[in-house]
Amino acid sequence: MVKKWRQQMKRWMAEKFELPADIMMDLPRITMVGQIHIYIENHRGLLAFSDKELRLLLRNGQLLVRGEQFVIKTILPEEILLQGKIRQVVYIEE
Amino acid sequence: MKNEWVDKFAGSVRVKAKGRGIERLINACVRHDIAVWNIKKHSADTATFFIKLSDVKRLRHVARQSECKLSFVGRTGMPFFWQRAWQNSGFWFGLLLFLAIVFLLSNIVWKIEIKGATPETEHQIARELKRMRVEQGAFQFLLDDPETLQKKLTERVPDITWVGVEWQGTSLHFQVVEKEIPEPKKPIPPRHLVAKKEAVIADLFVEEGQPLVSVNDYVQKGQLLVSGIIGAEGRTKFVPASGKVFGETWYKSTVVLPLETTFHVLTGKFAERHYIGIGRFLIPVWGWKKPPFAHTVIETEKRPFRFWKWDLPLYYARVTIREAEEVKRSYTWEEAFAEAKQIARRELRAKLPEEAAIRGEKVLHQAKENGKVRVELHYEVIENIAVPQPIVQGD
Repeated sequence: MVKKWRQQMKRWMAEKFELPADIMMDLPRITMVGQIHIYIENHRGLLAFSDKELRLLLRNGQLLVRGEQFVIKTILPEEILLQGKIRQVVYIEE
Repeated sequence: MKNEWVDKFAGSVRVKAKGRGIERLINACVRHDIAVWNIKKHSADTATFFIKLSDVKRLRHVARQSECKLSFVGRTGMPFFWQRAWQNSGFWFGLLLFLAIVFLLSNIVWKIEIKGATPETEHQIARELKRMRVEQGAFQFLLDDPETLQKKLTERVPDITWVGVEWQGTSLHFQVVEKEIPEPKKPIPPRHLVAKKEAVIADLFVEEGQPLVSVNDYVQKGQLLVSGIIGAEGRTKFVPASGKVFGETWYKSTVVLPLETTFHVLTGKFAERHYIGIGRFLIPVWGWKKPPFAHTVIETEKRPFRFWKWDLPLYYARVTIREAEEVKRSYTWEEAFAEAKQIARRELRAKLPEEAAIRGEKVLHQAKENGKVRVELHYEVIENIAVPQPIVQGD
């Protein structure tokens, strides 16, 4: 109850004060370069990885990336850079 | 993001992980600050990735808590490059060859520079140097040291008064000072001529000035011989007195000569040996035969080897073994007296100026004393006794 209220508060502040939503609300920031690169910040760890699929844990839910010939170029505690041919980026809500 | 250049230098390792929970392993790595990159999944339970060489230990630690088996499949970077080079004979061969070439080239005379000489003298010097085997491309350690070169050059090239010899790296510099023709004399200031020592005047040649002595006069040391003040009283003039005043002077000398003397004389036969030395150790390189000499005189010459611009503790040593002979000389009493007189005369001659003449010789005393002769001699010498003395013009 409190958690949900706080979340709403943050969203409201992000809208009203024009603050970046990813910082205010701990949301992932995803940058893509065509189909070949995807750069995800603010993730919470690797859940599954194969050359066709990447599943990342987020604060709320998961992120699923599908494609071919996946290679994780870099992985840091909150960032990941994936290379390959990306076909889909899907949010899975809890 | 990481810098791949740094990884190239530090070295990186490709790891193959096999088993379940590869994702958990990677998460654990990331949490433990182990940089992981280029993760590829090959099948459901195998993956490969790169880590830094310095992180291998920590990875092992982390992997112990996972269900994966690790193996290392590839290595890149400088440490591994060096490791491979170290095991490569070609690398060693190249390194040795390089050092050998630098060593060889550091020990060669690359340039000979002669400065301060006219073209003729320079040519002469160059010819002499060539005769001494000092030329471009010669080995430095086979040459004489600069002092000897300097001495030999000054002796053999008549036109030079002095030559400075200096090594500057691999080039040999000669700084030449040539003999110069004296400049015309400056006008001589007014002067007198005075006696250098006590004498009896034998002859006078006065070019300028007023002679104050005549033949057969006895003069003391410092006595005025030719005055530089000429003209009648009241109209005197100062001139530089010049001329020669020959006087009879006396010398006494004593010579002691033993009847028997032994000398070591070199016969001219010699054997050379070449060594390479470190500290006090000598490693023979050339010359093994033991020369059949009974008496020897041994000369050792050391020249350091050079590397780049430094003198190495290594040196080249040339040992020349010269045959010596013991010569015994013995005189009879008469021969000894005659020889002693000659020695005395030679010694006196060497002391006197060129134009002096020995007029008479008298034996004052001669004695035989335990195997030696002792001769005292008295000489009469005719020499120029005039020396200039400047006139100090007061007031």
